[in-house]
Amino acid sequence: MKLEVKDIKKSFGEKEILHGVSFEVVSGRAMGFLGRNGAGKSTTIRCLMDVFRQDSGQFLLDGQPFRPWEMRIGYLPEERGMYQKNDVLGQLTYFAMLRGANRADAARTAHYWIDYFSLGDFKKKKLETLSKGNQQKIQIAQSFLNEPDILILDEPFSGLDPVNAQVFKDTIAQFVKEGKLVIFSSHQMSYVEEVCDDVTLIHEGNILLTGDLKQIKQAEGRDKLLITPMNGELGALQDKLTAAFPTLVITQDRGSLIVDTQGKAMQAELLSWFAQDGTALRRFGLYEPSLADIFIQKVGETA
Amino acid sequence: MKHFATVFNYELKTQLTKKAGIVTMIVMIIIALVGTSVPRIIALFDKPAEPGTPTEITAPAPEVDSAIGYVVTDEDAARLLAPAIGENPKLYDSRDALVKAIEAEEVELGFVIDQSLNYEAIFKDRSMYEERDTHFGNALTHIKKEQMILSHGLTVDDFNAIENQSAQGQVTILGKNSGNNYLLSFVLMLVVYMVVLMYGNTVSSIIAREKDSRTMEILITSTRPSSLILGKVAAAGVAAVLQFGLVVLAAYIGFQMNKSTYPEIVIMMVSGSLSSSYLLTYLFFSFFGFILYLFLYAALGSTVSKMEDLGSATALVQFLFIFSYVMASIAAQTPNSTLAVVASVIPFSAIMVMPMRAGLVSVPWSQLILAGGLMLVAVAFFAFLSIKIYRWGSLNYGNKTKLTRIVKEALRPDIR
Repeated sequence: MKLEVKDIKKSFGEKEILHGVSFEVVSGRAMGFLGRNGAGKSTTIRCLMDVFRQDSGQFLLDGQPFRPWEMRIGYLPEERGMYQKNDVLGQLTYFAMLRGANRADAARTAHYWIDYFSLGDFKKKKLETLSKGNQQKIQIAQSFLNEPDILILDEPFSGLDPVNAQVFKDTIAQFVKEGKLVIFSSHQMSYVEEVCDDVTLIHEGNILLTGDLKQIKQAEGRDKLLITPMNGELGALQDKLTAAFPTLVITQDRGSLIVDTQGKAMQAELLSWFAQDGTALRRFGLYEPSLADIFIQKVGETA
Repeated sequence: MKHFATVFNYELKTQLTKKAGIVTMIVMIIIALVGTSVPRIIALFDKPAEPGTPTEITAPAPEVDSAIGYVVTDEDAARLLAPAIGENPKLYDSRDALVKAIEAEEVELGFVIDQSLNYEAIFKDRSMYEERDTHFGNALTHIKKEQMILSHGLTVDDFNAIENQSAQGQVTILGKNSGNNYLLSFVLMLVVYMVVLMYGNTVSSIIAREKDSRTMEILITSTRPSSLILGKVAAAGVAAVLQFGLVVLAAYIGFQMNKSTYPEIVIMMVSGSLSSSYLLTYLFFSFFGFILYLFLYAALGSTVSKMEDLGSATALVQFLFIFSYVMASIAAQTPNSTLAVVASVIPFSAIMVMPMRAGLVSVPWSQLILAGGLMLVAVAFFAFLSIKIYRWGSLNYGNKTKLTRIVKEALRPDIR
């Protein structure tokens, strides 16, 4: 399956929130939808889920208009909520039935996911009696009901402790392995980096970049070297390098220098220079930016 | 509408198994049983009259209470008063002396009687249940009547014979006897009143809680808003019929069990001229009116973001419903007045006014058809509107919005 988000625009009152959002997601690959708070992630997802209707643009699934109510979709809204005063099993069964399962299948999938998150003892308990962490697991479990073909998760890692986050990451990985289409929004880059094959970066309602995460990293790190001096004196080394190579663009980043060589030729020249200069180095290699680096850089470029 | 049954079943089960609801129903069933047993309970404590003792009509018993003082200035009056004030009354010379005696708490109450047997009753403090002055007034009235009868050369027996003359009449009622149906109509109106308030508030709080807890977004992305609203309203309607059906059944059983202890007039008023056409009218307008109010409550429940705002949000519909109750009370007194006729046609008030009128008078078919048609149209329109407002509510959190603006925004074509 291929889900295409095409030129989505959405305004609230006079203010346009999404200014032509476009990206693609394919089955068997997890797509991380990144952006700061208020960037437009949840609005895009809500338009996709038909909670809001976009002013213009299209959502297409394999070239056809996307109708979420006709699909098997697991959806975890950003603002999660379930019936606090109803029992866990009953309401998960209910949600599964609302998404098209018959009673027997709904009960089966509800049992499965409650047990999957090791909450079997709480099936008949009211949700409000569970701890906050366990309530979160139940809320996540509701998005996995009915073996969805498409998973749309809005800030799924928000509020999860590291253990639950790991369980959740493993589950998403399993869904991806099974060829499901997975989209999740987040502003927590590390989780996205671990789980996603593709990323889309949104900022103030505009898509800054979208595509394969590895390729993006390679492209963003192209012609850049990461150099870490043994003595940790970044300023001195930066001064020496600037004096020797005035055309280099050098920045300091977490104990290292990132040197934009603007071409492969310069990299060999630099290596020779270090050999002659005798500066002891801990590291000299190709620079691969983290997702957070790319995010900060891209957002910074728009400022 | 694909998941209407799923929503209906879940909501109905939730409502019927709610502990608070079960307890309320048990209490109401007990009240119904005890309430209908009141005549029997009263009969247990009432001493039956001794058999064979004839009931005589006599003059009111004279007041011989030593806590009462009297001032009688006229000798003739004093002679006539003897049967009313006893043999040894506490007599005072003047009104002032009597007032002083009352203030000194020598006596509790004083009467100043003039030559025409008119009197003034003087109290220091008069309790709410005080009746001695009334009794004394009755006794004096009796004496005065007796004097007048005698002065016309008649005896008291002659007078009583004249008084007891009456024309024998027969009443033929072509339509309805308001007196017979009044009690039943009023009781049934109260049942509708309770059902609408109880279940209307239940529906609005269910929806407001869904919004407050952010469950709504999961629901509307899982199924259509129409299935959700119609399922919830239908569940509340069926829960009301089941639960209040039990209460009415308990009241009926209680009535049948204790029927023998009820005064004849009450039995006549309850079952007197209860007709199938009246029952049909009552059921039609009560049921569809109830559904109409449930949709209104559901729509207003969708407009709040927090549970604590629900009271103010539903105030409008509460006011509308209380207005309907007032209209029904007016219709009970003047069922054919223009106000009652108009109120019985407007769907918001027809829920109570039309059954009330139908119980008391013969409502023309034209009015029944018009009111029934308007009721069905109103139910359909407000069902549609409540679905739209529910959908609107799922998109709007936080700021309070005016109802007119909500309706305008909810009807926008881009809200599915």
